[in-house]
Amino acid sequence: MIVNSINFWLFFAAVVVPYFLCFRGQRGQNVWLLLASYVFYGWADWRILPLLVGVTAVFYGLGLAIARNNESNPRRASQLTTLGVFLGLGILFYFKYFAFFVQELTALFASLGVPCGERTLHIVMPIGISFFTFKLMGYVIEVHRQTAAPTRDAVEFALFIAFFPTILSGPIDRAATFLPQLQQRRLYNERDVSEGLKRVLWGLFLKTCIADVIAPWTTAVFSNYAHHNATTILVASPLYLIQLYTDFCGFSEMAIGVARILGLRVAENFQRPFFAKNVAEYWRRWHMSLTTWITDYVFMPLNVAFRDWGLWGLYAATLLNLIAIGVWHGANWTYFWFGVYHGLLLCIVTGLDKRRKRFEKAHHLKDNELYAWSRRLLTFLCFTFGSVLFQAASMGDFLGTLSRLGQGFGPLYTEEFSSLVIYALPATCLMFLREWVAEYRRDIHFLHSPNMLIRLVTIALLISFIIYAGQLEGNSFIYFQF
Amino acid sequence: MERTDIFDKLNEIFVDVLDLDEVELTDATTADDIEEWDSLSHVQLVVAIEKAFGVKFTALEIMKWKNVGELVDSIAHKLYS
Repeated sequence: MIVNSINFWLFFAAVVVPYFLCFRGQRGQNVWLLLASYVFYGWADWRILPLLVGVTAVFYGLGLAIARNNESNPRRASQLTTLGVFLGLGILFYFKYFAFFVQELTALFASLGVPCGERTLHIVMPIGISFFTFKLMGYVIEVHRQTAAPTRDAVEFALFIAFFPTILSGPIDRAATFLPQLQQRRLYNERDVSEGLKRVLWGLFLKTCIADVIAPWTTAVFSNYAHHNATTILVASPLYLIQLYTDFCGFSEMAIGVARILGLRVAENFQRPFFAKNVAEYWRRWHMSLTTWITDYVFMPLNVAFRDWGLWGLYAATLLNLIAIGVWHGANWTYFWFGVYHGLLLCIVTGLDKRRKRFEKAHHLKDNELYAWSRRLLTFLCFTFGSVLFQAASMGDFLGTLSRLGQGFGPLYTEEFSSLVIYALPATCLMFLREWVAEYRRDIHFLHSPNMLIRLVTIALLISFIIYAGQLEGNSFIYFQF
Repeated sequence: MERTDIFDKLNEIFVDVLDLDEVELTDATTADDIEEWDSLSHVQLVVAIEKAFGVKFTALEIMKWKNVGELVDSIAHKLYS
């Protein structure tokens, strides 16, 4: 049951009507939403539901115990926090990485001539595990740092972890901002509903009119890369980055919109990354709920620990930070090297930062638009290269894809390409127009125009675009696999 | 050393490390108020502050600061205790 399917909206209607009409206080609303969230998660994979409930109970207890010991016994509080972090990582490791490690070790021993038999582990990876374990670990760390207050209300805590719009694919919320919202009754608010529906509409537009229109073509190219020439690979690479962005940003917009209809604000996930002028800024605008999580809980502690090593400490922390982001996506060497690639890029950007600023000052480039757009293009190309690595099923596939670039140019692969030009191209132009306006002309509004006619025309245009051009089969999202 | 002296010294450090023209820090200033103050430059600031005041912070202290006021409290606490 995914957010772009009819089933989801029937489910949502059955949840939202009693949510606003039948409960006089926040507690009833929270119990109802928790029930709905467990039904939603059980629908996706009922076998994992006991695990979700179990770890929620354990982390609920840990949060309270850490808070009790924070002042009276700081050592104990630190130990309990470490226990929570290791427990979260342990669960993640077992379900997500263990089979991969066994397989890699078996292959390593076999290559060394040590026989250890064929062993294939079939571990079911719980859907959304990377998202809810990060929320659990973030909670105990925040309670320990005293940047979030622990909750005594078990329902409230369980809802924070299992909240159905975000459990499968984020955004990854923080206790400090989400829990206080559950402590008051949410009243039906026309503004929230209107804003929520607009975000759902925009998300649906990105997903159905861009991502799902591009997907068949890029899949046809990359899954058969050996049959394609350099021209096709060079066109498919930036298109895949646009597909990845509109797929995940589309999902995030819908999740944020659904939560908003319920009167709850969840973390933002994207802030027009294609307008970033360097890779550091790009990462601050891309999958923000994950990057800020990893920055706060991985990068900062490492950076602080390595601070006496000067710039080299910063480089080491940056590299480890980006590797963590890479392998968060899954157990595959491609994700590891994706992290290394971006880590090195970030180190270069950091190392050249002061020199760049001096250069810009000397040549009066700070407000030069041509210079700004050249930097944006360069950043986009760096991420395009990274996304080819990101989408590859293995390092062999990635290198194979790259090797096609050396095979010379030729005619573009045009099977199914026409729908891309007719539908995805104008939709992408519309997306860039909206993002450009948000970056440069904050005084111009479409969906939020004070003029009702402009609002209605924009909504009608988006709906017609979705009906006419959108892929409405309820296709899955790329990030569901993580 | 008074709180105002700590602020004066911090203003100098921020200008130097973040390459700013000038800055007027207050108790309520946070990283959101200064564009150049990001997660990358934060630790460079901490190192410069530790060196200038001759103090050493624990990792937990560094993570817990919510604004410049709390940073100044930490410095003052270390200087006077």
